[in-house]
Amino acid sequence: MTARRILFAATSVTALAMGGSAVAQDLRVTVWTGNAAHLEMLNGFAESFTATRPGVSVTFETIPAADYTQRLTFQLAGGNPPDLGWIMEDAAPAFVDAGVLVNVGPVLRADAAFDFADFSEPALGLWVDGDAVFGVPFSTSPFMTFFNRDLFVAAGLDDPLTLAERGEWTVEKKREVARLISDANPGIWGLEFKDGQGYDSRFMHTMVPAIRAWGGDAWTDNTCGFSSPEAVAAMTFLHEMVYQDRSVPPPGEVGDFFSGRAAMTVNQISRASVLANAGFEWGIAPLPTGPAGEAMVIGQAGIGVFTGGRNRDLATEFLMHWTNQENVETMARFFPPARQSVLDGDVFVEGNPLIPAEQMRHVADAIAGGRVLPSHPRNPQILAAMAPRVDVMWRADANMQQALNAICDAIAPQLR
Amino acid sequence: MKATHESIAARRLRAPRLTLRMQETMEGWLFVSPILIGFMIFFLGPLVGVFIYSLSEWNLLTQRASFVGMDNYAHALGENPDFWHVMRNSFLFAAGLVPLNMAMALTLALALSRPFVGMVLFRTIFFAPVITSGVAWAIVWRFLLQGDSGTVNQMLAVIGIAGPNWLREPDWAMFAVIVTRVIKMVGLNMILYLAALQAIPRDYEEAARLEGASSWQVFRMIYWPMLAPTTLIIMIITTIGSFKVFDHIYMMTRGGPENGTLVLAFYIYQQAFRFFEIGYASALSIILLVIVLMLTLVQVLLRQRGST
Repeated sequence: MTARRILFAATSVTALAMGGSAVAQDLRVTVWTGNAAHLEMLNGFAESFTATRPGVSVTFETIPAADYTQRLTFQLAGGNPPDLGWIMEDAAPAFVDAGVLVNVGPVLRADAAFDFADFSEPALGLWVDGDAVFGVPFSTSPFMTFFNRDLFVAAGLDDPLTLAERGEWTVEKKREVARLISDANPGIWGLEFKDGQGYDSRFMHTMVPAIRAWGGDAWTDNTCGFSSPEAVAAMTFLHEMVYQDRSVPPPGEVGDFFSGRAAMTVNQISRASVLANAGFEWGIAPLPTGPAGEAMVIGQAGIGVFTGGRNRDLATEFLMHWTNQENVETMARFFPPARQSVLDGDVFVEGNPLIPAEQMRHVADAIAGGRVLPSHPRNPQILAAMAPRVDVMWRADANMQQALNAICDAIAPQLR
Repeated sequence: MKATHESIAARRLRAPRLTLRMQETMEGWLFVSPILIGFMIFFLGPLVGVFIYSLSEWNLLTQRASFVGMDNYAHALGENPDFWHVMRNSFLFAAGLVPLNMAMALTLALALSRPFVGMVLFRTIFFAPVITSGVAWAIVWRFLLQGDSGTVNQMLAVIGIAGPNWLREPDWAMFAVIVTRVIKMVGLNMILYLAALQAIPRDYEEAARLEGASSWQVFRMIYWPMLAPTTLIIMIITTIGSFKVFDHIYMMTRGGPENGTLVLAFYIYQQAFRFFEIGYASALSIILLVIVLMLTLVQVLLRQRGST
């Protein structure tokens, strides 16, 4: 009797488990935000998705940004892949190259309502390979000039936004106003590179906008561009701002823009939320034009479906729901969109509670016309090979051509 | 008669009688089995696993793996110039940290071994960094060691010294990470020395003093020899710790500037967790293990030779 009961219980549990697995589907999505407002918005997308799909649930799993790629990779390698995940720009080529992302191109293009053609073409650079599409950009964050309006007013100078409106916002003008403000305000720097990390972990964010303004690039078609005359001129210009003008904090010094210790910084628009608590009047302008004209740069994150996930088709459906026009509009207050219709519409430009419309227009222009930061399947190795040579480049007595040649020598084997 | 048969049958069913020695052996194994099982699962197993991985070229992201024999070791030891730069940094770090740490720990322990007003307070002050968060410690020191605006350089400027840009010049960066690490960890060795000093009977010192020995002679002829076993242990654990240092480097310099503080443990982390080259990182880990084992062996042999 007892044995029969046990057999019955085991059979029932197995049947329930099998039946349950056929009906219930849980999508697990890794994200790097733990922000309550972000998660509330994302859960809203999940609710509208699951409302029409009985038995389906969506779980967002936060992994801190600093460890994100590393821990996601361990989940993929450990046989516990999420169904979808945010993917950082510097990891995207490696993930595509490794074949861990599903080609969602045919499904996206087949759905007229999704309107894949609406996505800005430059913003798709990291995610599209021929006809294949390995992810959808969800946060397209352009590099902009943030400025402290109080310091410009006190110095009697036109601010970068005013200069940009007049077409006079150039790299030479940036250097001039930075020097004037730092000379007039001891302890205040004219310009700060990104969040005090422009010499270290974010050195590409310092170098690439400058090099592109001179018409060069970090690398193109696996050929290093750091030793080009354009790159040498651009980096010499920045080096002189640091060591001749002394308007930029040198390596080892901190001049935090957001606490009012620098008049300008080049940063991504996604950092603008910090300005809500700034103790000064501020503004956002485009990057200055260089000898090669306008050169907007964008950083980016995308959403991809993992090949190892158990619910690939359902995950692709959720990806399309998440990045449809309505939800991209909703996300736009936190994550700059890559959909042209949203960029052109009033919601993005006029609906930002923090940034005035005339400044948001510059943001929209930068997204539409900007090029994504360079990336590569061996990006971590390239950055690690560059780092010690970049340190040499920032020495006070650096020979710029030699330093940049050394960078190219170091990364050439990785680029091949 | 029936009872006799049953008792014989029951005796046959019992386990064969063990000798006392076998019983003791079995009990011994049973007593150590929890830690032994843990050791095999959490230490020996991973160690064997790491060695097997080190014989492969295995990229975690692509999941492509192939057996390459000793190629990873050959690459590290023969082809990769970065490896020898990293080894130089690791030995430099250990050569700076171990003697400085031990000298400071012994000095502090000698100074704080006799009762005086405030003794407990000073012991607490010197031990407090040991239990302070390593991350917080490194972040605070990064601010203190900034260039011209750093607190350390501003204090030096008061006495007319122009301090270097501590964490941006390769040689000074190594010096800075060694000193800040010593200040953080010296309290632990101080406690070990204090415990050893308190175990030495005062009679020896009193007898030496009666014979007219100076303080230096008392230290040299009594305390130093009697502290030798503790010194050996401290030297071994500090040396091993110096080769395994990771968090301090990660938070203070990330191996920079110009790879001037790129030590082996951090280099292994880069290979494994940034480049996902698990095979090569495993080979480097085995090399680190061998280095630490050899250094420990040398120290033990030197100690044995010294004691004989």
